[in-house]
Amino acid sequence: MEQPYLEETERNQYQAVNKKGFFRYLKFYLIPGWREPEFSVMEYEIGRIKSKRRLFRRLLKPLTIAGMVMILFIAVLGVYSPWLTVFTIENLTPPDFLFDTPYLTPSPEHPLGTTKYGFDILGRLIWGSRTALTAAALPVIIGTLGGLAVGTISAYFGGRVDALIMRFCDFWFAFPSLILVIIIAPLIGNSLYNILILFGLFGIPGSTRWVRALVLQVKQNVYVRAAITSGAEKFKVMFKHVLPNAISPIIIGFFGAMGGAVLGFVGIAFLGLGDEAFADWGTDIQYGRGEWGAYYAVWWPGLFIAITAIGFMLIGDGLRDALDPRLHL
Amino acid sequence: MSRQSRNMIKYIVKRILLMFPILIAVLIFTWILSNMMELNPALNKIPGNIIDRARYEAELRRSGYYDPWYVKLGIYLGRFFRGDWGESFVIAEGTKVIKFIAEIFPKTIELMIFSIIVVPIIAIKFGVTSASHKDKPRDTLIRGVAILGAGFPIFYIATLLQLFIGLTIRDFTHAQLFIEVIYPNNPSLATPIPIGGVGTGFRLIDSFLYNSQIYLWDTITHLILPVICMIFVSLSGITRQTRSSMLSVLDQDYIRTARAKGVEETDVIGKHALRNAILPTSHLVIGGTAGALLGSLFVEVTFNYTGFGYNMYMAIILGDYLVINGLLVFSTIVIISGTLIADVAYTIIDPRIIY
Repeated sequence: MEQPYLEETERNQYQAVNKKGFFRYLKFYLIPGWREPEFSVMEYEIGRIKSKRRLFRRLLKPLTIAGMVMILFIAVLGVYSPWLTVFTIENLTPPDFLFDTPYLTPSPEHPLGTTKYGFDILGRLIWGSRTALTAAALPVIIGTLGGLAVGTISAYFGGRVDALIMRFCDFWFAFPSLILVIIIAPLIGNSLYNILILFGLFGIPGSTRWVRALVLQVKQNVYVRAAITSGAEKFKVMFKHVLPNAISPIIIGFFGAMGGAVLGFVGIAFLGLGDEAFADWGTDIQYGRGEWGAYYAVWWPGLFIAITAIGFMLIGDGLRDALDPRLHL
Repeated sequence: MSRQSRNMIKYIVKRILLMFPILIAVLIFTWILSNMMELNPALNKIPGNIIDRARYEAELRRSGYYDPWYVKLGIYLGRFFRGDWGESFVIAEGTKVIKFIAEIFPKTIELMIFSIIVVPIIAIKFGVTSASHKDKPRDTLIRGVAILGAGFPIFYIATLLQLFIGLTIRDFTHAQLFIEVIYPNNPSLATPIPIGGVGTGFRLIDSFLYNSQIYLWDTITHLILPVICMIFVSLSGITRQTRSSMLSVLDQDYIRTARAKGVEETDVIGKHALRNAILPTSHLVIGGTAGALLGSLFVEVTFNYTGFGYNMYMAIILGDYLVINGLLVFSTIVIISGTLIADVAYTIIDPRIIY
């Protein structure tokens, strides 16, 4: 009784594929929960089980899609910024102050108004997306790679090396790191990349601790002990057996940390310690907040910061749900 | 039991002894930092062009600018442990740094105390509700508010509150941005303490002690907006953490066992699940408290609230390096003791943890 039923459904599916081809698959992948209406209940069940196993499908939750759209939006702004606004970056940064047009209300020339020094807000928003994406990526890459190297060494070798590294981390955690960045950033020159590298270096102790805990967990597994017993070299065990199995939480943490990095850099810029050669949303808020009624000068930059930060956080959450549901950051 | 508590005391003593090497390392580090800054305190103190050369030189010599580095470091360390953290050169001229900290830190505590005490209670309640009603409208609402609090920078929320509410209800942000002052937020102009009287430093307590209603209302109206900002931001982190750890605990087998035995749902969540889920949250609450005491920097800068963070920022901008050193060392002491308290509190929250 069951056999012809299955055959029939398979034939149905085959016909459906042939009928709509590529666009059917597009719909299948992009619209979560979308089904071919002709499919039988049985086939629906089979498809559900199959799709559960696919990472791609598990990633496509509505909130994660929203996060991806947000980041895509910011990325498009960043990539095509010269074509999206008539202003060049030189028109929008401090050497040419335009004191004759402070706090203009929105008009055809300035669609979102101007800031304290007469810079166009829309232009600074569009150029600022490049700075924001750099500020998201660079510190987290430095912090994560450094943490991976130091944390793996610390966890794997143990003993005196481990104790030394952990004491250094303890010492480092006694500092309020934001205040340290504020103190050191003016010392080494307020260049954008200096501040970001500083942020990355200060992130290393935190990620070191985290990677160390992960590696210590993986080290308990039988296959690691088997590799050691069969005489593998230390570095080979470390980078071939231990690290690939600890990598998925690290990838998840990577996206979560990117949202934090955006907020951190924007905070430094808000205090007036950012790089003035780049358009930056934090500096925009600082420029805009000095005038009553000029809330349009503050509203948009903050909204864009929030879009970037929330986008990265949503992607991080979605990745966590898809890759490792038991992990909690 | 007695052996356990003896171990505990041994652990606490060990940790307190371990604090001293870290403190000395921090001191040397801050000293190196302040020397790297190559600040010239005299330049900021004597504004404009230096006309009086002799006064400038005398000022430099007074602040020990020409001493060799080992003398500076030795004097600095020796003075620190004798309780003499130097004097402020720029911000509060001639005030001892310890006295200055005692003056400004109560203000930050006043700002933070509400968000420290009330927020964890509300946030844990929110997180538990959100986890036990997963994917329901209530959960969506709480998650939405939490992610807004995490994604918007705190100074943006503060600035918007200041601009919108300050524009419409003017009593909130006087002493700010050219709005006329009703009760000035300036201790030298309006203080209820009589000459020779003893103040606690907490403006709220002072106004009750010396029965000054104007001072009380002045303090409260200055506190409302910053406190709202602090609550909104610290709420989101604790809620998210509680929700995710509650979700993982509700997945466990012993929760199903408890439900199968017929334990009521409130008891399952309040006793079986929450007791196990609270540990990461308590790490965030207790460990975060020390950080929050210092993390109010952006709120204080935005609202010109002359607490710890605001003075830290002004000291860095104006180059008052002894104040920077003092505040940095003080904040590290706060953080170190905060982590110690957190580690001890873990044993109370989770009896399985033994040191």
